[in-house]
Amino acid sequence: MLQVIKSVLAAFLGVQSEKNRQQDFQSRSPWPFIVTGVVMTLVFVLVVASVARWAAS
Amino acid sequence: MHSLLPFGRWLLVLCVIFASQVQAAAINTSSGWNLPPGVTSISQEIFSLHMIIFWICVAIAVVVFGVMFWSLFAYRKSKGAKPANFHENTTVEVIWTAVPLLILIAMAIPATATLKKIYDTSDADIDILVTGYQWRWHYQYVEEDLSFFSNLGTPRSQILGEEDKGDFYLLEVDNPLVVPVGKKIRFLFTSNDVIHAWWVPDLAIKKDTIPGFINESWTIIDEPGTYRGQCAELCGRDHAYMPIEVRAVSQETYDEWLEEQRQMLAEDAAGSQREWTMDELMDRGKGVYNTYCAACHQADGSGMPPAFPALKNNPMMITEEGRDAHIDAVLYGRSGTSMPAYSGTLSVADIAAVITYERNAWGNDAGDRVQPSEISEMLSDD
Repeated sequence: MLQVIKSVLAAFLGVQSEKNRQQDFQSRSPWPFIVTGVVMTLVFVLVVASVARWAAS
Repeated sequence: MHSLLPFGRWLLVLCVIFASQVQAAAINTSSGWNLPPGVTSISQEIFSLHMIIFWICVAIAVVVFGVMFWSLFAYRKSKGAKPANFHENTTVEVIWTAVPLLILIAMAIPATATLKKIYDTSDADIDILVTGYQWRWHYQYVEEDLSFFSNLGTPRSQILGEEDKGDFYLLEVDNPLVVPVGKKIRFLFTSNDVIHAWWVPDLAIKKDTIPGFINESWTIIDEPGTYRGQCAELCGRDHAYMPIEVRAVSQETYDEWLEEQRQMLAEDAAGSQREWTMDELMDRGKGVYNTYCAACHQADGSGMPPAFPALKNNPMMITEEGRDAHIDAVLYGRSGTSMPAYSGTLSVADIAAVITYERNAWGNDAGDRVQPSEISEMLSDD
């Protein structure tokens, strides 16, 4: 699970090491990556929105 | 063979020349190369933001290009440099992604603080509704029941090159916007026809005026003075001929000016009732014609057919039968053409005068007068 989160974060930044990439593609199903990606995108949007709301208040 | 300066010294010389140029431009703001600092606290904040971000960009450029040129020079092939051969370096990639991210966030923090101030239009002392027209500005002092049009003040003879151009060529108006210093003024922006933009660099205000929408901005001017601007959204053929002139004056002068404007309005109202002589009508009509009509129909009434018909020898304007159609065209415009309605723009005296002028100038010989009272009767019948 930690590996999946790390890879999604790497994807957010756009930088991934070749070693981790190889490891990710050992995984049998893509679903953990997709679900984690969607959830973390939502979290990111919420964080940005609340920072913007805090800055505007 | 001439000898080259060592590379490091070249770079230093270039940097010094560049920095001195940039500094000169930044300090000497009247050089015209830099953003003007303006005359309000907001415009000065925007100027400092602009300079901070400019210097950040300069620092980044010096570091990036410095490393690049130094690498090119120090590791050139003729010195026997061997290229490294590797595919990726995650650490370096993370650094060059994260550093710009942090720089952008660092830039966004002061910028957001300023933006918040720019958008805070609350607690204004004076509200002014600014309406864009093709091609003039209309100012309405909401609390004062005072409104007027602000037209280009540059004489046509200067535009046509018959006279030398003045110091404020195309940046002067007949009725400037007058505001008191030290007061918070809220501007409400809208438009009567197409999208214009009200732009006064010294106040750091540039707002689109959009039909059916209200945009807001505000200013507090500390220094009395005249601040000029222009329409900043291409709005048609006379886009360049609708300048903005803002006069910031002391509270006393402002109060006097308000009183003067009220008196003029009262005189205008009284004038619409009495009988005008031919000379009075022709005299006033000429001024109105040159401000509102001459851009299309030309000062000599020759027009620019087919888009803008000639008024000279126009059957409507030399016969008794054409009189009603003539008045109708000026009051309500001609649909399907670019002739606008002037019933909401000009006073009844102006309308009567300009129609009389058109019927009796340039050899037109209708010979009749149109009285302001006649126009106000027609308008009250509607």
